[in-house]
Amino acid sequence: MIKEFNTDVVIGLEVHVELDTETKLFCACRTYGNIEPNTLTCPVCLGYPGSKPVLNKRAVEYALMLCLALDCKISPELVFSRKSYFYPDMSKNYQITQYELPLGQNGKVELSDNKEVWITRIHIEEDPASITHPGGIGNSEFVLVDYNRSGRPLCEVVTEPDMTTPKQAREFMKNLINVLKYIKIFDVNECIIKADANISVKESGYVKVEVKNITGFKEIENALQYEISRQRNALKCGEIIIQETRAWDADSKTTRSMRTKETAEDYGYILDPDLVITDITEEWIKKAKESLPELHNEKVKRYVSEYGISLEDAKVLSLDYDLSGFFDEVARKTNPILAAKWVRRELVRVLNYNEMELSDIKFDSSHFADILELISKDKITENVGKKILEKLAAGSFNVKEYVKNENLEKVSDNNALLDMSNKVINENPLVVDEYKSGKDQALNYLVGQVMKMSKGKASAQEVKKMMESLVK
Amino acid sequence: MNKIHEHINKVKKGEIDIVEATHKALEETEKINKEYYYMNEISARLALSQAEKLKKHATGRLSGLFISVKDAILVEGVQSRGGSKILNGYIPPFSSTAVKKLVDEGAIIIGKTAQDEFGFGGFSTNVNVGLNHPLNPFDKDCATGGSSGGCGGMSQLASFPHISLGESTGGSIVNPASFCGVFGLCPTYGRVSRYGLMDYANSLDKIGPMGKELYGIASVQEVISGHDSNDSTSLKNNIDNYSLYIEKDVKGMNFGIIKETFGEGVDLSVEKKVWDAIKTLESLGAKYHEVSLPKTNRYGISAYYLIATSEASTNLARYCGMRYGKEEELKGNFNEYFSKVREMNFGEEAKRRIMLGTFARMSGQRDAYYIKALKVRTKIIEEYSHTFKKFDALISPTMPMLAPRFDELEKLSPLQHYKVDLMTVGPNLAGLPHINIPVGFEKNLPVGMMIISNHLEEGKLIQVAKEFENE
Ligand SMILES: [Zn+2]
Repeated sequence: MIKEFNTDVVIGLEVHVELDTETKLFCACRTYGNIEPNTLTCPVCLGYPGSKPVLNKRAVEYALMLCLALDCKISPELVFSRKSYFYPDMSKNYQITQYELPLGQNGKVELSDNKEVWITRIHIEEDPASITHPGGIGNSEFVLVDYNRSGRPLCEVVTEPDMTTPKQAREFMKNLINVLKYIKIFDVNECIIKADANISVKESGYVKVEVKNITGFKEIENALQYEISRQRNALKCGEIIIQETRAWDADSKTTRSMRTKETAEDYGYILDPDLVITDITEEWIKKAKESLPELHNEKVKRYVSEYGISLEDAKVLSLDYDLSGFFDEVARKTNPILAAKWVRRELVRVLNYNEMELSDIKFDSSHFADILELISKDKITENVGKKILEKLAAGSFNVKEYVKNENLEKVSDNNALLDMSNKVINENPLVVDEYKSGKDQALNYLVGQVMKMSKGKASAQEVKKMMESLVK
Repeated sequence: MNKIHEHINKVKKGEIDIVEATHKALEETEKINKEYYYMNEISARLALSQAEKLKKHATGRLSGLFISVKDAILVEGVQSRGGSKILNGYIPPFSSTAVKKLVDEGAIIIGKTAQDEFGFGGFSTNVNVGLNHPLNPFDKDCATGGSSGGCGGMSQLASFPHISLGESTGGSIVNPASFCGVFGLCPTYGRVSRYGLMDYANSLDKIGPMGKELYGIASVQEVISGHDSNDSTSLKNNIDNYSLYIEKDVKGMNFGIIKETFGEGVDLSVEKKVWDAIKTLESLGAKYHEVSLPKTNRYGISAYYLIATSEASTNLARYCGMRYGKEEELKGNFNEYFSKVREMNFGEEAKRRIMLGTFARMSGQRDAYYIKALKVRTKIIEEYSHTFKKFDALISPTMPMLAPRFDELEKLSPLQHYKVDLMTVGPNLAGLPHINIPVGFEKNLPVGMMIISNHLEEGKLIQVAKEFENE
């Protein structure tokens, strides 16, 4: 089927996600640990003559969860194939992957502007070894191969060419990572996520160029932006865009040609006869469904119905798995609407200011809920609340005791406010006159002076009202 | 005749000096090998160290039984090359599951036997380790058959208690058993773990015993059978007590005689000997009827060679001089280097099968060859299972000819070579157990009859073979 394109740019992605299993896809070697090269290996992942792969069921369960989370249709059978090509990173010179029958097909990912990116297929495969070129590609007399990576489980997610801007591609990657976090099959710190992008522009008549080896969602935007302008510049200079494979170099922020279509490889796929074809039973799918946690879309719906927060707040909160988890805890303890506003704005502000992740903070949701409870019961002002939160970022303490000890409770005693206001009026006769002559901002100064006197414990609105009536 | 049983019992009781017996067996093996070239490697040190252990403590079911092992089946610490010089000097760091099980039961490994390179051949003339090809034990001008030719020859000539561990992809156990005049049992696909077997074609490869005594065949089969967590294709079914079938007879059994395996293209003297054997079975109370397997006989060889070479060409990809395969002078890029290593070290037939298999699975040809062959294979399996509704077992000659002379073989084209597998590819494609039974001599060369039974019915094969053991 040939798609009719009409947009300026057409982008499709093939994303490789490393699954966070304990052991490799076809052997019992560990997948993690920051250790010496070539120490996490065995005859199977080194491809010794006579060794045979034995499937890691956990990896299949993880991949099934991903397929279900992305609304894929699940294949009735689990079938593995051999993809043959000679390359120094492959101990067997073939890779065990899925070809005819991928685990999942026809899924989708929704982007923020209601755009849907369709998933063509999701399949499971083994990672090859990693290769380093000492001194850089092209300069080195030899390469070093580390088989610690050989045989790690990967899921390849292939999209339709549905994206039209690098920004959409970035959002797709970000949403995909969020889904991976939701279903906990991916460890952001340990696992690798890599993308190959197919990209073409209208001016060339949509000649497809593949850009390989892009890591992470920030890089994808850079790589695609570079490649689009490279193609457009080339066309402007009268060059022709050829169908080819290019590599993204993150250091130089450029792409370079690897091979053209004429030398494209024929992988000669056959079924892998060492692995038996297994039925993916209804039961197996049911089990995977049950082990799926609440997903992003379900969470948005629940937030609106259970907590009554706005759809926009619900969407923003759900998009970050960790943040939404924190919000849930706080919302159960105190006013959810206030919680949504505070998690989304104040918590994020404090985290950004301190350059911290949610996992780094020393206080927990109950500290946060205490602050919100004091605010909603009118015991402290929002300003005081913000200051307490900033202080909590440095180390936790009992919020309620702290408010009492530091005498931070809101000044709501009218007599006290009246005394402070009169004092300010008496001390600033010139400002009072300015206000009376029509300068409205003069009032703000007077209110500010009262707030200062109350150490932020007074409500600015109440002070303003009182001032207005006093200096009329 | 129950030499093996007696020997094992004596070793267990300490009535035999097993170290001395091992020395003698090794000496004899050397002597046979000098004359007939059955061994790629004699593992004297390993054998003697096993014997020393047995001298102190022998309780295993196979205590003191001498075993020779096809080169492709890995034995830890013993050079294992699958008959290919590309693996010269390759010492595997682990043993195959089958060998490990044998050793655990007290068997003594005497070495690795000669074979066609990676199993590619039916006469053991495609040897590629720089040694002479093995010679038929009855006539040195004739072939042993293949690819487990060394196993066949050793089984015939060893005077000590001996069983050989062979391997069959398309007939490589029964073929040399037939030409060398010994029993050769190829079990159901998956009955024996393939872990530690250098792959020829993974969906077809089967390890099985060869030898002169059925008791040895049955006991070795019992030991090596069973599920192995290292091989996903190994079967979980219970293991039959095969040696019990030696006590049974064939009275009332119903045999199907495969029509297409007699007549045109089959040596008349072979036909006659096999018919004599069928009459013997009849005289013992068995019945027989002719049966036709048209699909198997028409499409078997093509389907077999397409599937086997497709798989083989991927299996052999790892031998490129990087991790595996002989190192040559480092020159050019990796692609040029890999090609050079493979060009210099693979034999002619290996190259032919790599090219054939690579062609059959390339995107332009894949559907017409590889995928179609898989479909044909399914049809062939159906044809057999339909037949087994009516018969206990099927009978055909094992090979359509007597062991050929080397000078005759040289004149044959590759296609003519492939065609001698006519009778054996069927049960191999369908993963059915089959056995070669020596049924007499013609021109001083042995004739073999092949019995095929349904999946996991190896016992029946031993039951039939037993009727011919004492002849
Ligand atoms: Zn491993």
